[in-house]
Amino acid sequence: MNKKLIFLIVAVLILFFLPLIYKASFFIHVLILIFMFAMASQAWDLVGGYTGQISFGNAIFFGIGAYTSTLLYMHWSVTPWIGMLVGGVVAVIVALIVGYPAFKLKGHYFLLATIGIGEIIRTLFLNWPAVGGAQGIFIPFEKESFWNFQFHSSKLPYYYIILTLFILTFLVSYFVEKSKLGFYFKAIREDEDAAKAMGIHTQKFKFVAFAISAFLTAITGTFYAQYLMYIDPNSVMPFMLSTQIVLVAILGGMGYLFGPLLGSLVLIPLSELTRVLLGSSGSGFHLVIYGLLIMLISMYKPAGLAGWIQEWNFNKKKAAGGEVDGTTINS
Amino acid sequence: MDIILQIIVSGLLIGFVYSLIAIGLTLIYGVMDIVNFAHGAFLMLGMFTAYWLNQLFNFDPLLSLPISIIAIYLLGWLSYKFVVNKVLNAPPVAQIFVTFGLMVFLENLALFLWSPDFRIIKDTFVSGDFNIGEIMFNIPKLIAALGSVLITGAIFWFMSKTRTGRALKATAINRDAAKLMGINTDKMFALAWGIGGGAVGAAGALLTNFYYIFPTVGATFNLLAFVTVALGGFGSIQGALVAGLLIGIIENLAGVFIGPAFKYAVVFAIFILVIVIRPNGLMGGK
Amino acid sequence: MAPLLTVENVTKEFSGIVANKDVNFEINEGEIVSLIGPNGAGKTTMFSMIAGALSPSSGSIVFNGEEISKKQAFEICHLGIARTFQVVRVLKQMTVLENVIVGALSRTNSVKIARGEAENILKVTGLYLKKDYLGKNLTLADMKRLEVAKALATKPKLLLLDEVMAGLTPVETNEAVELLREIHGMGITLFIVEHVMEAIMPVSDRIIVLDAGKKIAEGSPEEVVNDERVIKAYLGDRYHARS
Repeated sequence: MNKKLIFLIVAVLILFFLPLIYKASFFIHVLILIFMFAMASQAWDLVGGYTGQISFGNAIFFGIGAYTSTLLYMHWSVTPWIGMLVGGVVAVIVALIVGYPAFKLKGHYFLLATIGIGEIIRTLFLNWPAVGGAQGIFIPFEKESFWNFQFHSSKLPYYYIILTLFILTFLVSYFVEKSKLGFYFKAIREDEDAAKAMGIHTQKFKFVAFAISAFLTAITGTFYAQYLMYIDPNSVMPFMLSTQIVLVAILGGMGYLFGPLLGSLVLIPLSELTRVLLGSSGSGFHLVIYGLLIMLISMYKPAGLAGWIQEWNFNKKKAAGGEVDGTTINS
Repeated sequence: MDIILQIIVSGLLIGFVYSLIAIGLTLIYGVMDIVNFAHGAFLMLGMFTAYWLNQLFNFDPLLSLPISIIAIYLLGWLSYKFVVNKVLNAPPVAQIFVTFGLMVFLENLALFLWSPDFRIIKDTFVSGDFNIGEIMFNIPKLIAALGSVLITGAIFWFMSKTRTGRALKATAINRDAAKLMGINTDKMFALAWGIGGGAVGAAGALLTNFYYIFPTVGATFNLLAFVTVALGGFGSIQGALVAGLLIGIIENLAGVFIGPAFKYAVVFAIFILVIVIRPNGLMGGK
Repeated sequence: MAPLLTVENVTKEFSGIVANKDVNFEINEGEIVSLIGPNGAGKTTMFSMIAGALSPSSGSIVFNGEEISKKQAFEICHLGIARTFQVVRVLKQMTVLENVIVGALSRTNSVKIARGEAENILKVTGLYLKKDYLGKNLTLADMKRLEVAKALATKPKLLLLDEVMAGLTPVETNEAVELLREIHGMGITLFIVEHVMEAIMPVSDRIIVLDAGKKIAEGSPEEVVNDERVIKAYLGDRYHARS
């Protein structure tokens, strides 16, 4: 237990000092993207990995976060920090509305409904002049400050913000996993009828999972808006974004605490590297590799990287003749 | 009144193509309970098959049609043999994602190889319009609809009249019983993927007479195909046929009365409404 | 004293097909009652209605003075009825211990307390040594035990057991009967659907027989075994085949 804690503290310290040692702007940019996707994916995993409801519409919440904070800032000069929280609340409300029809459905139907709802909302935003329509919104440059959530001279503040947000999200997942909620989410994933028979109000807990997930995803969206200073429906709520969020979790291992971070650590550098190596002509090439990886993972290691590592650890312990903490291997 | 009639005609024409695409999808689902997310990517490759045959050998899309059918039949068959085959006993999530990975792979490979540009095939054999009374018929769309009807008919005939087709049907109804009766289910699965691919390959070639060809063209069709299949009831071929026509009409109605930008949104909204009220689709299904 | 469970004129139809027709019976606190009948007699449907997985087309089900026929499964669980499933429904990707913790959490919000209770229940049900196995890695006999353990963890007053002995070897069956006696010893009323009648006869206080959705007999094991209709409907071929 203590060993784990020390490991985590060391890891956080390294992450804190890393960009101070290696200061290349591109490097920091990649780190920022890694944690941004890890966060969105960790939030998704509460619904997808833990509760077993595969949503392909989480970009809606990302977009709602981005739009809420941006519009509040543009029209009423509300700091994006407050906008971020408001965006989270709006996303929760939307999640409850979307969840009402969607949670009546199971499996493929749920998945398709989330895609459909995502596309409907994106279409509405594309054709809604008050929110910038297809042109999108440029966030006006202001004085660099924490309050304004704008930093122009360095990317470092963005890095520390997203790192903090990710760690908070991770902690939320951690506490969910250890609490009653985590047990209930997993029980719903494994067998909804059995869960009901054991006293679980499955519908209610699906909503809880969806709401937490939506709130955290919206916060990621606000961060994205402030980082890029420009939003439009095709960058903050496309189906491809929903897909990327899911892919990160699948590759890393759905339903594992470290899954999303692992997935993000592999996929984001991969996409940025191919972008650099192949230039604009190869801008989609990382997705070719994504596709291959997802196929291979599904075929051979459906538990993802995290599941793989756990299995490997288990085998190592067994080989060493040490005490094996149960046959808790996911094959 | 004429406008309504025109909408219905246009809707039916494109609706037959939607039906053909959806039949391929629902056939695979019916036989093995796996949703092929790469279906739209198959369609895209069918379209590119026709496109490149036109660019390189000056083939007309109608001439490419059989080649596209065979090419995508093979693609479906290969996808089963080398990919889907491996997840038959995997957790459901892996089954969902494996074809999803295939979609991401194929679509982006096409983007990488052929750039995101929109292309068209010029000077096709069929082109232009004709009128019956006030109703305008677009000839390429009419041909696409007729072609889709023919191929849909062929699939119906195959499924009900041939020995292999009936074995396929039996596998769809009860996999284990089919196995016990000596049907090689593995072969049937591969066949379903082949036919599913062939159907969508045909639709792809027919579409190139009037539709833009680009690597992500499959995305919209993919969604529409899912919606069609879900409305018709997963696994129901008749359901897919009817639902395809319905969606064609709804899409055109929405395009005219609500606005072209919203036509798919309306289709999705109706889809969600229907599956919430009738989770087994309009036609029941399995 | 009022009965613990009263089933009154319960009928269940599935789009025209009658699974249960005007069924009446009572279960008193502390009893062991068995529900038997040939395949398709409507036993599991009756169970599902009591447990809230299905709701009756008509009639009433009263538990502990409360009408429950319109309540959902999770509410009924909280009122004190737990069930096992005929086809085992263990949570496959969760450990045995976690499976039981989920049940125990229906009475507490503390995972720590639930864990303690779950460990006790695993000791009672003889699964403690396998507590870290994943559900999917258990043998059928152990899965059936786990079904019982999960249900017990919700602290039921009334436990519905749906064919917990089907498919077990004779030795496993004897162990299962022992487990039933032990659970009954904790003061839990048992309502059992079972096909393995030889095993269930000696422990049952009363037996209810369903045939084609209707109750055709009710009484002590001796009475039921000697009932003409029962022999004809169900026991007949079975007993004759054996003698």
